[in-house]
Amino acid sequence: MTDALLEVEDLRVTFAAGGREVRAVDSVSFAVSPGATLAIIGESGSGKTVSCRAIMGLLPTGTAIGGSARLRGTELLGLSDAQLRRHRGSDLAMVFQDPARSLNPTMRIGLQITEAIRTHRKVSKAEAQTQAIELLRLVRMPAAERRFHEYPHQLSGGMRQRVMIAMALACRPKLLIADEATTALDVTTQAQIMELLLELQEELDMALIMISHDLGLAASYADEVIVMYAGKIVEQAPAAGLFGTGGAVRMRYTRALLDAIPHLERPAHTQLPVVGGRPPDPTALPSGCSFAPRCQYAEDDCRATVPALAEHAPGHRWACWHPCENGGAA
Amino acid sequence: MAAPLPDVTLASPLPPPLPSLVNARRLRTQRVGRALRLWVPAGVLILILAICFLLPLVVSLPSSTKGNIIYNNEPPFSPGHILGTDVQGVDIFSQLVYGGQVAFEVGVSVTIIGIAIGGTLGVIAGYFGGWVDAVVSRVFDILIAFPALVLALVIAEGLGPSEMHTIWALSVFGIPAVGRVTRGATLTIRGLPFMTAARLAGTRGWRIITRHIVPNIAPTIVTFSLLGIGVVIILEGALDFLGYGIPAPTASWGKMIANGQQILSAQPEYVLIPSIALLITVAALNMLGDALRERWGTQ
Amino acid sequence: MTVPEPSATPADGDPRPAEPATQATQATQATPVAAANGEPLLSVRDLVQEFTVRERGGGKAGVVQAVSGVSFDIMPGETLGIVGETGSGKSTLARAILQAPRPKSGSVVFRGKELTRLRGGSLLQARRHMQFVFQDPFGSLDPKWKVRSIVDEPLVAYHTGSGAARRKRVNELLDLVGLDPARYAKRHPRELSGGQAQRVAIARAVALEPSLLICDEAVSSLDVLIQAQVLNLFERLRAELGLAYLFIAHDLALVKQVSDRVAVMYLGKLCETGPGNAVYREPLHPYTRALLDSIPSTEPGSARASTVIKGEPPSPINPPSGCRFRTRCPRATDLCATDEPMPRELATGHFVACHFPLTEAPPAEAAGNGSGHAAAPAGTETKTSKAVR
Repeated sequence: MTDALLEVEDLRVTFAAGGREVRAVDSVSFAVSPGATLAIIGESGSGKTVSCRAIMGLLPTGTAIGGSARLRGTELLGLSDAQLRRHRGSDLAMVFQDPARSLNPTMRIGLQITEAIRTHRKVSKAEAQTQAIELLRLVRMPAAERRFHEYPHQLSGGMRQRVMIAMALACRPKLLIADEATTALDVTTQAQIMELLLELQEELDMALIMISHDLGLAASYADEVIVMYAGKIVEQAPAAGLFGTGGAVRMRYTRALLDAIPHLERPAHTQLPVVGGRPPDPTALPSGCSFAPRCQYAEDDCRATVPALAEHAPGHRWACWHPCENGGAA
Repeated sequence: MAAPLPDVTLASPLPPPLPSLVNARRLRTQRVGRALRLWVPAGVLILILAICFLLPLVVSLPSSTKGNIIYNNEPPFSPGHILGTDVQGVDIFSQLVYGGQVAFEVGVSVTIIGIAIGGTLGVIAGYFGGWVDAVVSRVFDILIAFPALVLALVIAEGLGPSEMHTIWALSVFGIPAVGRVTRGATLTIRGLPFMTAARLAGTRGWRIITRHIVPNIAPTIVTFSLLGIGVVIILEGALDFLGYGIPAPTASWGKMIANGQQILSAQPEYVLIPSIALLITVAALNMLGDALRERWGTQ
Repeated sequence: MTVPEPSATPADGDPRPAEPATQATQATQATPVAAANGEPLLSVRDLVQEFTVRERGGGKAGVVQAVSGVSFDIMPGETLGIVGETGSGKSTLARAILQAPRPKSGSVVFRGKELTRLRGGSLLQARRHMQFVFQDPFGSLDPKWKVRSIVDEPLVAYHTGSGAARRKRVNELLDLVGLDPARYAKRHPRELSGGQAQRVAIARAVALEPSLLICDEAVSSLDVLIQAQVLNLFERLRAELGLAYLFIAHDLALVKQVSDRVAVMYLGKLCETGPGNAVYREPLHPYTRALLDSIPSTEPGSARASTVIKGEPPSPINPPSGCRFRTRCPRATDLCATDEPMPRELATGHFVACHFPLTEAPPAEAAGNGSGHAAAPAGTETKTSKAVR
């Protein structure tokens, strides 16, 4: 029984929008072991980004947060900004989706990295510069010394994302959260960045949480997968349990996601199995299962009671009253 | 490889709900605040306009140009003179009212001319680009290079001061000011995909301008114009103060300030009263412009 | 195999679940409706489009040739998919075909007319049959207009019919894309979801019954499930209206799903063009291979040996000499630096622009060449992804 690096228990986030209450995250629990890779998959509005921002303490004031998120036993929720800063960078770090917007366009990237370093450690400018160049090499940035003096607009999207990763790794965090970090990149660049992240995980013994809408990414790179819908976890299993041979997807929403993705092996011009409707309005969630209004297998009990997330098979939890049989061939 | 998951049984009790963030009272306060920010300045302006333009039609006011020197320096609330009279015996309230008329006439005229000429040129320059834009922008640059006040002085010297001349002179400043803002707003809209879509749908240039560009830049122009009226009123007041705007004996706020300037230490109210009127008017225009921008900015 | 009816796409806002979704079955057969004389609907030859890149101060930094001599045909009713990554020039290509702005050189023959030589009214008439769907559903709709006016706009511009006739047509179009006119016609774009807004854009695009629909990343900004709905809508329109498509995207799987033929674009040139299945099963160009290998897959049991391509895309201002892909290609030789490969037909309808296509053995001297970017064995590593444990 390994000690979990990060333990999230019953995380709830609510905020007010336009006069109504939005339950962005509703009772989310998961754990990440040291060095493991967790993928949190969901569409927009699923609550995947909000959960991780809650853990990092990046939500705006005026948000109600409940539950617990413990990093090696230390409770992260409710910490003050100053206390959080001590953990951010050295224990956990986050990389975001759009490097063009996260980097200051008027500052050379080398300076931005050294700034990140000196926020957490008292080192001289020269020492920080050496460390920064080392970090650039760590993220396999070609011609690191030259790039150190360049501006963000002189770099490609993939390179900018490497800079973001370098900044995040400045203090060798034990956990890196990548929030749609490769969504804005080309598929070839995405493959490069994902390989880089895997290598870094091994080198630094770092755990990784990847947030994405891409199930393919989860299947290829994650150990464990969590699927979220309308603020709740609806399915949770090791990647092999969902995607590998002998794997089975249970929750109807996960099945719908899988079916809706274009597959290379599918013949052209096939009609995709369609799920109608849209994600529910977060201020007016339906009673019962949030996915029931769109699910063609929904029955009365689905609409009446919220299915609880429970471990119905070893290591595999789902929240569905009428799950798929045989991995969804139903 | 995963750590054991925290146990969740089907029968676990529901967690206590989070404190409600939607404070109905706070929401009401916000909404009331927003409405006040719009309607208070609007109401003030309507009131001022009513006093300046409607009141004289209803109530007979003493002359704003001639006064009886016997009754000079009357204090406020004297019989027949609500705000008293000035050094020459001219009623102050009448001067405020008719001076206000002048202020708004000049302010609104210059703004309308600005929109009509400057706005049209700005949209054309922004939409067509190329040499049309180059020419129009240079015209704007030249016009704006003229210091408005100096130009007004020159015109007044050469042609004699009058309300019309003041309007012309200030339009030299108003046209490029509105024109540049319009051009900028048009350029912003022009690059948006729906403009390309409109062209691909077959809509011709003229219709694109009237039905796509104008509705989308209208909020910006209206907001800018409101602030512009305030600026023009102040400029006009300055011209009158210097003696180059509205000729005596027509009442105007600037002239009132000029006249009162000489006895500022002894009787400051002759300067204060028109200054306060100016202040309230321009402040109301600015606040209304801001409130409209706030309201339309979200669309 | 029986041909089932295309399943009805329920309206976006309608909370009813779909009718039992047809599992992956064939829709109406994919044979393009050939014109009587077999003439292509769209014929593009040697299209070149440039734009100048300016420095901060306004001085000229260089000229980017975003499209460098692209040629292809689209037959009536056929869907051609163009795949390319950032900087490939695919969006510029789409705009150049539309003459918005005009390409620098090359020919675009659409329904028999040379578009590059038409002006004004005649261009408008010719372009009536070619419509465009943009990537940003909200950006392509005027925020101040109502849905009804938006869909009506092309009908008004081309003077088709009276007000009453147009009103009827707008209702028909909204129904066609799965939006209930009674509920949606009066709305503004800000009251719509992404999927609904894109449907409105599609309704507008098919209002004039075009023969060709150019879709520039039309579903890329939509959520996965909504994306599937809109793709099904495209297929349904294809079946019902006999539309040809030029479908542009960066997702190879997506493109292959909707296309009869696929073209792969890199830095302004087409590397490979061919039937979708052929390009997927037997890619001829190393770049196509790299693209295919980079796609993370959910297929069970796929031991993906992800060949991670090395290096960064070169600057479009200064593309590599000869073959533009050679700086990242594992098979590049000196020949690739000096001679630009021309497209040649290696199988029926399957063209590739490469000196050493994948069907042939790798060149003997795949050693380092003078570019300095690719080292020998240039640029690939084979790693087994985590899915196999």
